[in-house]
Amino acid sequence: MSDTILDLHEARLTLDGNAGPVEILKGVTLAVDRGETVGLVGPSGSGKSSLLMVMGGLERATGGRVAALGHDLTAMGEDALARFRRTHMGVVFQSFHLIPTMTALENVATPLELAGRGDAFDRAEAELRAMGLGHRLDHYPSELSGGEQQRVALARAAAPRPDILLADEPTGNLDGPTGAEIMDLLFALNARHGATLVLVTHAPDLAARCSRTIRLEDGRLARHRQAAE
Amino acid sequence: MSAARRIARRELRAGFRNGLRGFRVFLACLALGIAAIAAVGSVREAITAGLQREGATLLGGDASVEFTYRFAGAAERAALRDLGTVSEIVEFRSMATVPQDEGGADRALTEVKGIDDAYPLYGDLVLAPPAGAGAALAGDPPGAAMDPVLADRLGLSPGDTFRLGQKTFRLAARIAREPDDAGGGFDLGPRTLVRTADLEGTGLLEPGTIFETEYRLRLPPGADLDAARDRLAAALPEGGYRWRDAREGAPGIQRFVDRLSAFLVLVGLAGLAVGGVGVASAVRAHMVEKTATIAILKTLGAEGRTILAVFALQIGAVTALALGLGLTLGAGLPLAFAPLLADRLPVPAAIGVYPRALLEAALYGTLAAALFTLWPLAKSQDIRAAALFRDGGSLPGGLPRPAFLAATGALLAALVGSAALLSGIPFLALYTAFGLLAAFGALLATAWGVRRLARRIARLPALRGRTAIRSAFGSVGGPGGEAASVVLSLGLGLTVLAAVGQIDANLRSAIERDLPEVAPSYFMVDIQPDQIDAIRALAEDPAVAEVQAAPMLRGIVTRINGADAIETAGDHWVLRGDRGVTYAASPPPDTTITAGEWWPEDYQGPARISFAAEEAAELGLALGDRLTVNVLGRDIEAEITSFREVDFSTAGIGFVLVMNPAALQGAPHTWIATVYADPGAEARILRDVADRFPNVTAISVRDAIDRVSQILSGVAAAVTYGASATLVTGAVVLIGAAAAGTRGRSYEAAILKTVGAARAGILASFALRWAILGLASGLVAALAGTASAWGVTRFIMETGYVFAPGSAAVVILGGVVLTLLAGLAFAWGPLAARPAGILRARD
Repeated sequence: MSDTILDLHEARLTLDGNAGPVEILKGVTLAVDRGETVGLVGPSGSGKSSLLMVMGGLERATGGRVAALGHDLTAMGEDALARFRRTHMGVVFQSFHLIPTMTALENVATPLELAGRGDAFDRAEAELRAMGLGHRLDHYPSELSGGEQQRVALARAAAPRPDILLADEPTGNLDGPTGAEIMDLLFALNARHGATLVLVTHAPDLAARCSRTIRLEDGRLARHRQAAE
Repeated sequence: MSAARRIARRELRAGFRNGLRGFRVFLACLALGIAAIAAVGSVREAITAGLQREGATLLGGDASVEFTYRFAGAAERAALRDLGTVSEIVEFRSMATVPQDEGGADRALTEVKGIDDAYPLYGDLVLAPPAGAGAALAGDPPGAAMDPVLADRLGLSPGDTFRLGQKTFRLAARIAREPDDAGGGFDLGPRTLVRTADLEGTGLLEPGTIFETEYRLRLPPGADLDAARDRLAAALPEGGYRWRDAREGAPGIQRFVDRLSAFLVLVGLAGLAVGGVGVASAVRAHMVEKTATIAILKTLGAEGRTILAVFALQIGAVTALALGLGLTLGAGLPLAFAPLLADRLPVPAAIGVYPRALLEAALYGTLAAALFTLWPLAKSQDIRAAALFRDGGSLPGGLPRPAFLAATGALLAALVGSAALLSGIPFLALYTAFGLLAAFGALLATAWGVRRLARRIARLPALRGRTAIRSAFGSVGGPGGEAASVVLSLGLGLTVLAAVGQIDANLRSAIERDLPEVAPSYFMVDIQPDQIDAIRALAEDPAVAEVQAAPMLRGIVTRINGADAIETAGDHWVLRGDRGVTYAASPPPDTTITAGEWWPEDYQGPARISFAAEEAAELGLALGDRLTVNVLGRDIEAEITSFREVDFSTAGIGFVLVMNPAALQGAPHTWIATVYADPGAEARILRDVADRFPNVTAISVRDAIDRVSQILSGVAAAVTYGASATLVTGAVVLIGAAAAGTRGRSYEAAILKTVGAARAGILASFALRWAILGLASGLVAALAGTASAWGVTRFIMETGYVFAPGSAAVVILGGVVLTLLAGLAFAWGPLAARPAGILRARD
């Protein structure tokens, strides 16, 4: 029995632009298994980030079906999606997207609090310490370097132990060594907790570290590569 | 400079193409402030012009010569007739009495006006049913016209009879309009109009009775008023009369209007200060948005001063637009509401466009705009080219350069100086400026304190797990919060409203609070000397606690040490018109002599005066000074030999001038008495006195207080409207702040949704943070407003201060409700937006 955690069937996304509707995803069919690491690659504007957003329920597919852990995301309301992400998904962005009015600790504790975890702050602190940020707990995002901010974002995504980790070019705004450090942490999380990782990246070497690479071109899947190939 | 102008034009063009999106709050705030001041000024000018245009009608003639409780003598009448057509008017207070079938009577205080056939010289007397005065008032019993309020109070219809003094009159008509009743609403009793000739037999114009006569003059066309005044002065060198002419038909009203409008302009300036917060925020946000442009311009070689010029020109253009909008609105509103204003104002107003009012508003608007835009503009110079490579979002910190600090000081001084100079009430203008600056400081400190406190609260272990509450406090306390702009804009508006509310409540309660324990039930005037013993005997009535009585004359202080009194001591109220004068052999009970000595009881020498100490100090009088007091046309020169404390606030008998008996006893006079009685017995006492002595006029202190309260309510309402305009500006700033924060909140909501927050939780967090800011603003406003009100009541109104909790509670609650409403109005966008779109835009 296959253990599919993400299941997309003919997923489509059309957005309204200034010059009329723009078709971003033109029918993507894809299945990701539990524990898998998937690299999403492709030229700029090919729809990689949009596909990731659709997988996370951050963007609603305008056609087809998107299911995560057997739940049809396209049939869920905004709040139901939020509650689903709370326990099952962690998202890491290129621009970190930390809440500017919260400290590092508070940022990491927030999803745990939302999930009703009584030990939210203890767990958040442990996560940040594990990321080497024990000395930055009470700092606001604006007081942290880019690498530190991304490690906070990573801690926030990983702290609830999600089934799925979605990462959208997490090293895009970082220098080489810092980026490499972040990627090591990301893959370590996958290895340690068994979270399924979907990673959007432009870097071939990062994609190569994934168990599978999916290439997207003009909103369609171009080809797959299995690590074993 | 030309390069700066060209760049500025390009920038502005882009702004206009964008619908001046970033400048809408700027425009609204400035235009509203300017419009409010321009509208108040326009109405003031309209009333001034109306009073001037209608001067002769309001005065009743081109000029009026007034005598106090006497008619003009033969020589005086001849001198008046030499100048033009004369109309004689007599005015006094009396009781209108309607006998009832069962033996009792209804009574009401009235201001009786006796007229002659020449009345009115100007304007029209309108009666209902329509009739000429001559025809309506003729007949037997003689006719009278009454203010409808009085007729209704007494239940009189045309044809019914009533009594004035000992004589019966017939109500012939109701008065629909009395042409020379400028602001007559300030009188204690409504009007009864009769022919002077018919007053004979009433017993109301006996010697010593308090009445005034006016001889209105219609001068030949083109006559010189000054020349006429001088001719009369030459013909009547003894004086003893008061001259007024149509150039100042209603000086009391003019003074009142000037004061009230000056006060409203000050309230308007407070509104402009509130708007200034919005203006400053808008310019700051604009400069932040333009950081990249500025950095690029610097990279391309633009100097700091070029950058400053570019944005100063831009802001200048938007300011000009706001000025245009504000002045159009300020001038247009009175025009649009002209019929309503004419109907509601008790005085004539020539509604029109008055450049002086608009120029004053433009001056305030320009200075305020310059003051509030200078700092953010100055910061543009300090933006470095390197900002291009960093994340923008804020202007460089710290104070602007010294030159800008100096310019800020100069602008502030110019604004406060203009207000002090143009308002005509410099002390109050300076007080207001100080109050506003203090409120600004207090609110800034509060914003800082609220942020610190909120940050601490957000970290309380007790709040862990309560994401909505924690993130609300975290947001208020965190970097880039809205605390400062919300607390300042809303707080300042609410402070003005709180101060006005507290002052208003205190004004009302001061009258109710301070008087009842000590105030008499009735003032009785026009008591003839042979009646005073009977009035004093009222004290034997068990319901009467006390009766105080004093002889009463009226006199005008004409000279001080031989020189003209007003020229010597200024236009003080004691010297303005006639004052009550009394005589006493010994100091009245409880009198405190502060300087000098009272005359011996049997003193028969040259006339002496004991003068009220506080007023004497204001007039600069010293012991030994000689005053000339004109009593009944006779000059009495007397030496000041003592000063006394006189407390006018007790509503008891208080005379500024007391003379020794020998100086005045020979003059015909009446007595004044105050009767302190149980409220339950007041009606009976009035009935007894009125039945026995129909000539005696009893003024109910309670009625008088009600009348004063009514007038104060009107003033308070006008000021509250003014303060509400300030709050409207505050609300605009608040809405601007809420709108400006939408982007930040959308972002926050997107992240919170990403990590699993539902919309209800996010909305609760948003609502809570607005409520926190609203509560803080309301609390500080209530405190600052209370402090201001305390200062005003203590030092300006010189009454006690009592905190009015109701008014303060409304302000605090208002703060919470307003912020919540403004915030919720902009909450849906952030809540409804999909996270992906928002987050993608930030990448």
